[in-house]
Amino acid sequence: MTQIGTNVLSDAAKIGAKMLTGGQLLHDLRDSDVQIATTPKDLVWSQDKVSLFHYRPLTPQRVHVPLLICYGLVGRWTMTDLQEDRSLVRNLLNLGLDLYVVDWGNPSRADRYLTLDDYILGYLSDCVTEIANRAGVPKVNLMGVCEGGVFTTAFAALEPDRVNTLCLTITPIDFHADTIEERLGHGFINIWTRSLTPEDVDRLIDANGNLPGEFMAAIFNQMSPMRSLLKYNLDLLEFVDDEQRLMNWLRMEKWIADRPDHPGEAAKQWMKDLYQQNKLVRNEWELDGRRVDLGNIKMPVLNVYAKDDHIIPPATSRALGPKVGSSDYTELALAGGHIGVFVGNRSQTLFAPAVASFVEKHDVPAAKSES
Amino acid sequence: MNPFDYSKAVTDFWTAQGQALMRAQEQAGKALAEGMKAVASGKIPMMPTMPADLSAGATELARASKSVMDLWSAATSVCAKLATSLPAASGGDGIVEATFRKMADPRTWIGATGEMDEVLGRMAEGPRFADLWEAERRYAGVLQAWMNLRRRSLEHNAVTLEAWLRAGRRFTEQLAADANAADAKAALGLWVETANRELLETQRSERYLQTQAAMIRATTELRLAQQDLVEHIGKQYGFPTRTELDDVHRTVTELRREMRAMRRDQHNAIAQQPARRPAARQRGTHT
Repeated sequence: MTQIGTNVLSDAAKIGAKMLTGGQLLHDLRDSDVQIATTPKDLVWSQDKVSLFHYRPLTPQRVHVPLLICYGLVGRWTMTDLQEDRSLVRNLLNLGLDLYVVDWGNPSRADRYLTLDDYILGYLSDCVTEIANRAGVPKVNLMGVCEGGVFTTAFAALEPDRVNTLCLTITPIDFHADTIEERLGHGFINIWTRSLTPEDVDRLIDANGNLPGEFMAAIFNQMSPMRSLLKYNLDLLEFVDDEQRLMNWLRMEKWIADRPDHPGEAAKQWMKDLYQQNKLVRNEWELDGRRVDLGNIKMPVLNVYAKDDHIIPPATSRALGPKVGSSDYTELALAGGHIGVFVGNRSQTLFAPAVASFVEKHDVPAAKSES
Repeated sequence: MNPFDYSKAVTDFWTAQGQALMRAQEQAGKALAEGMKAVASGKIPMMPTMPADLSAGATELARASKSVMDLWSAATSVCAKLATSLPAASGGDGIVEATFRKMADPRTWIGATGEMDEVLGRMAEGPRFADLWEAERRYAGVLQAWMNLRRRSLEHNAVTLEAWLRAGRRFTEQLAADANAADAKAALGLWVETANRELLETQRSERYLQTQAAMIRATTELRLAQQDLVEHIGKQYGFPTRTELDDVHRTVTELRREMRAMRRDQHNAIAQQPARRPAARQRGTHT
């Protein structure tokens, strides 16, 4: 047999063994074996489909003012606690923060008339009230992620007296700033949304009731076309026999598969008011008839963005700097992409310490009410 | 397989796909027109002859093949339904009956595929009479929306297919120029990178965005037309409709909104009370 023939046979044998081991691993695994968001927490408040959780401390508390993590309606907060060794939540708890997270639930067609006004000045506002009451503080620290960052930004602008510090993560502020860098493969959602007319958006929501999670997933998949094609074959084959890597991958898959529908009216506002008409950065956005003026954000702000974020290009986040009324505005640029901020190796040692240090610096002693 | 054979195979593969898809589109158009004629003349419609490589090819081709079969099946069945519903809808006024027969007669639609679409458009969007032909009008609306979606979908697929073909050509050129890509893994890496770049560039193009927006629009309109038809039928049998449910949901949302606001007001009112209570207690202690 020639050397080439021997090599071919050897390679084939290796691949065969890999597939055999991987096949056995996948066969033995059950969905219940793949757990995400496992950090212990308690339900402390709920309204309609919205739930507020309080994390149990992992170390003695060093910061008095609680921090609320607010994810958006696209995806779910569980990304912040994907697995023990890649968990922003655990990292923050280990640094002594008092931590809460809000879960928006699974909106159905019955929730199609919920607006962003409801989410921001209704549910989020009530969460802030609940946390402040529980901790006996007049203000809380807010950490918004992606669309949730827009929620917290708007809330901080409209209710500045109730926000101690504002931390934003991968948050779009100027929805047209994707045109500044024009990086290939970056900002496709911005381009795509602008390719539709406002009437298209209205009709899309009227036809579907909500913005289906699967629909958004299809748009996300377009952003990395070849990766999407190779994901379940060649990419998977690369590590299918490595249990630890396979489990990491399956946890991420579990998070990706959890795609809540975006309530219809709120989706119209998100796509038309913000992505198309860019009202937030122009201080023209209104919620409950109140104008969101970014100049009212006078509390300390930490704005975290990912250098290679193809979903929220850095320029769209960094646009906040010149707009806020705060003299204490800091940016933190992390390596990696949109999700890498939470699960990337380097982020584990940079992100949480920066947030903890930021809120600790601006902490105020608890003043529990006597009643 | 050496890299050059491999690249040729890739290019041939995409070229074949492109040609097969185009043939499928062409045949589907012809078959639809012929089928309509057959239905209108009372003959049993024959299924179109499909290209041999459609059934045996890659997933995309299989999907295209299925789409064409679906198109054929849906078009013939809806036309048959319309034809059989004629007697039931007619009666009374002779002019009205004649007008209806002309409007609902598939022969009017089938001068050409495009003309049929136009006629369906007139039918779906034409002047409305209070209680006549409501169901038929809706069936026509669904058919028109469905046909429009097929067209938009194929137009968008064509843009994507062109991108794949460009990627194939670029890959071949790069492979020929890059000696390092002789290894299969490197060649695959090059293919992934090349195709990814080409597809991403295409996605930003005006043509891609326009055809995609048109396809989304067509999908939306079809869904709305289907809902309209189902609502019409459901209403006749006393089933709750989507519109009615939406009304209920809107009302519930508004009520909840009001309730939250009342709770908040109540909470604020209570929150202000403790500030007064200590003062009152203090006064009590002093007196």
